[in-house]
This record gives sequence, C-alpha cells and structure tokens, in this order.
Amino acid sequence: MTNRNEDMIVATRVDKFYPGGVHALKSVSARVKRGEVVVIVGPSGSGKSTFLRTLNQLEEIDSGSILIDGMDMYARGTNINKLREDVGMVFQSFNLFPHKTALENVMLAPLKVANRKPDEVREHAKELMYKVGLAERMNNYPSQLSGGQQQRVAIARALAMRPNIMLFDEPTSALDPEMVGEVLDVMKGLATEGMTMVVVTHEMGFAREVADRVLFMEEGALLVDEKPDKFFDNPPHPRLKQFLSKIL
Amino acid sequence: MHAKQKVWLWNAVFVAAIIAMGFAVYLSGKKIDYTWRWERLLPYVVNTEPQNITAPRDGTIEIAPSGKQVTVVMDDGSEPLVIKKYSQLLVSDGDLVFEGDTVAQLEQWQIGPILEGLIVTIEISVYSLVFALILGLIVGLMRISANPAARKLAIFYIEIIRGTPLLVQIFIVYFFIGTVLELERFTAGVVALSVFTGAYVAEIIRSGIQSIPVGQMEAARSLGMSYPKAMVYVILPQAFKRTLPPMAGQFINLIKDSSLVSVISITDLTKAGREVVSGSFAPFEVWFTVALLYLLLTSSLSWGIQRLEKRLAASD
Repeated sequence: MTNRNEDMIVATRVDKFYPGGVHALKSVSARVKRGEVVVIVGPSGSGKSTFLRTLNQLEEIDSGSILIDGMDMYARGTNINKLREDVGMVFQSFNLFPHKTALENVMLAPLKVANRKPDEVREHAKELMYKVGLAERMNNYPSQLSGGQQQRVAIARALAMRPNIMLFDEPTSALDPEMVGEVLDVMKGLATEGMTMVVVTHEMGFAREVADRVLFMEEGALLVDEKPDKFFDNPPHPRLKQFLSKIL
Repeated sequence: MHAKQKVWLWNAVFVAAIIAMGFAVYLSGKKIDYTWRWERLLPYVVNTEPQNITAPRDGTIEIAPSGKQVTVVMDDGSEPLVIKKYSQLLVSDGDLVFEGDTVAQLEQWQIGPILEGLIVTIEISVYSLVFALILGLIVGLMRISANPAARKLAIFYIEIIRGTPLLVQIFIVYFFIGTVLELERFTAGVVALSVFTGAYVAEIIRSGIQSIPVGQMEAARSLGMSYPKAMVYVILPQAFKRTLPPMAGQFINLIKDSSLVSVISITDLTKAGREVVSGSFAPFEVWFTVALLYLLLTSSLSWGIQRLEKRLAASD
C-alpha cells in the first residue's frame, strides 16, 4: 500500500466566500486517513457544514485544493459524478425520495448510475436494509417511516454505491431524542467496519467514543485538530474551552 | 346528529337552487317568441335517414345467385360498382340503369356535422396538448437553467406569448408563418394552440420544479447522478405530481380555446355549430348542444386527471 492511498481526504488551504462577501471558510487544511473517523464540532455558522459539503462539491471552493482518494477534485478532467460515487453523504433532513419506497430509494443510484444488474442490486439493497435494521420496512414509503428510520434508510442509500468515504451532515439534529440512538448505533457499526467517516454533529458522546480525531471550527477557521481525550479533557484552545463549557 | 342534519339541509338548498335556475331558463324560453325544435337538430348530430346508393355511370345490374351481392356492370367497361351492404334493393337482375339512378338504399346511421366538428376539436386538442407538453417541458427547463442564453430565450418566449391575445396569434401563425412555411389550416391551428399553451405549461413546470426542496437535488447529485439523471428520476416525477392540478386547468383551457381556430376556417365544433345554425334555423338548440359537448370533453379530461392524481397519491 503506497503512502498516497493512505490519505483519503486532503484539503489544503480551502477558502470560500458566499455571495455578499461572507468569508465562509478561511484557509482550512485537514487530512483524513483511510479508516479514520473524524468528527467536526463548532457553534452554528462556524462553517463546519460548509466545509463538509465542499468534500463532495455540493459547495464549490474559491481557492485551495481538495484531493479525494488521490484524485484532485478541481483538476481538469476530473469527473465529479464519478468522484461522488466514492463519497456517500447523509443529510440532516434525510432527503429521501418521497415518490419511491425505502428499497427503491436504496436501489435507484446503483441501477441508474452504476448500471449494475437489477437482481444483484436488489440483493445488495436488501442486505443493506437488513444491516440498518429495517428489513421489515423495505416496501414502505418514506412518509410511512419515523425520522430515525428514514435516516437509517438514507445511510443504506448512500452505502449502496459502495463508497469509500461517508460524510454525515448533522445526521441526528432533526430527530426526536429517542431516535438519536438507533442512528448513532448504525454509524458506530460502520466505523467498526473501518469506513472512512467525516461527521458534523453535536453529539459529543459519539465524538468522544468513536472519533479518532475531533476538529473544532469557529467563524470559518479550523482552530483545533486533536485526539478526543485531549480535545475534551484538556482543550488546547481558549475558544474551544469556552465552547465546551457552554454545551457540556 | 345536528351537524349531519345541517348538511342535508344545505344539500337540499343546492338542489332547489339548481331546479329554480332550470325553471327560470324554461320560463324565459317560453316568454320569448321562439319555437323550440329539438327534433330538427338530430340529423345534424346523427343522420338516421336512409342513404341512396346511385349508379356512377350507365350500366347493367347483375345479382349474384345468393342475393347477397349486387354488381353494376358498366357499359364503358370501367371498374364495376359492387354493392355488398344494402337494406332495400330497388332494381332486379338484368335491369339497365343510367347515371345517377338509385340502385339500393342503405339504412345506416351516419355522423352529422356536429359530431364531425367534435372529432376535429378532439383531434386538434390532443395534438396541441402533446406538443404543448413537450414544448413546455423544454422551455420550463430552459427557464431554470444556469445558462443565461437559455434562460433569457425562455423568458422572452413566455412573455411574448402570454402578453398577446391567442386570437391574434392564430391570425399571425396562419397568415404570416403559414404563408411562409406553407402550412395547412389544421397544422397552423395546432401550432398556434401548442405554442400558446406551451408558454403556460412552461411556467407551471418551472414552479413545480422549484417547489421541490433543494435537498432532493443535492441527495441525487451526491449519489453520483448527473443533472439530467437527477431531473428525470428524482425531480420531475415529484414535480409532475404537484403540477397535475394546474396542468388540468391549463388543458381544459386548451380545449375551450381550440374554439378560436374556427376563425381560420377549421371546421371544429364551434364552426360546425355556426354552419348548422344557418342550415337548421335552430340557434338556441345548436348552441346549447355545442356547449354540452364541450362540457363533456372538459369534464372527462378533469375526471381522468383526478384519477391519475389519486393513483400517484400512494406515496403520500
């Protein structure tokens, strides 16, 4: 295994401005190695979601570079659709396709994007539904599922493309408290299997327990990049100390 | 119980109001000096008169032994006339007939001019509906495109079409574009109606697409779908469902607006009505019938779309 393949995500001096001149990301640099789980925390408006969304180009950047599995996202000749197949994303608001059943949601992209065989896709989709604990609800429409169930379908849908990286954008923030656990359990399972994950969340327990590293962002800048014990027990930045004292 | 009784009461009020209105129409019909002759209208809707089958040229009659087939052998040796269906034979075997003689009569119902007009109206509406839908989809997608040329062309088209009367557009298409491109009347009518309706359909489709949450497009794109694939498999099916009610309204308008093509001498239901009025001298009966037929078309369309809506509501 070459060293280049060890780095799944390399973001270098990423800058982003919103129309109207807001400096959303200020020279953010970060690395994520294969199999690592990286959690990003920070106050709302700190740019953590924006940064996560640059990693599959849902947000374009104004300068800097992003390498995904060795591929330069902004190099000429990079097919962004191909690159996104390798990067699964889970959203705060689930964004399931309401006109399709849970199983059809999971099957759609492998069928239409990867052009895999229908039988194989169906089998794989059923396995994934089983894996997220929803084998019984496969033929339900999203409107017939609870928030936690919908989010688990969304995770299965992202996994159906067999990605090497999973991005989670506040996956439990829109859930009722009693449903947070079931989604976090699925995510923990993924982490144990060695999936490379970047997670934006307010679940500090999850960060402490599962994360290999925790990043702290504020006002578009990346201030802290530490292992969880040091991050929480001995915060190396005064702003982080302030932040933690507010939420813990 | 109380609420239920009230519903019954108001339903009774509705029925009473309808009956009162019908009675008022009947009374006013009595009051004016007008003789209602509904029976005169019938031949113009369905012609039940027996039809005469006449000899095209001079010839001799030959009846097959079975009696089922009558042949007129022409004196000049041209193609003989073979009659297989008739209800009453007016000649016998070996008779000489001259050009224009009635050989047999056939009692068969024939559609009259009003039904013919109805068929033309249906044809022109169906063609225009299909083309308007295609045109509207293309323009609607151009309207929300990131490309300024596509977007501005779409706005230009929509504004011009919505800002001018359909009647004027029909004249322009028929007399100007029709002359340049040598279009037939019917084609010109379909072009004018589909271009007109297409502009409204484009706006309906645009608003339908924009009503779908941004997250749907983001989810589709993050799975690796290209923009067209995301549109086809994720956005448009949802938008289609939401646009059905305004679309139904637009297509009902299309059927009604198709009556305007009678100004370029297409014999649609409206023009047929005008012609029948001058032949039957029964204007009231004719226009009531024509209105009823339009109502039949529009209500079956809206019934069909309601069925479709119900079926698509499975995932709600």
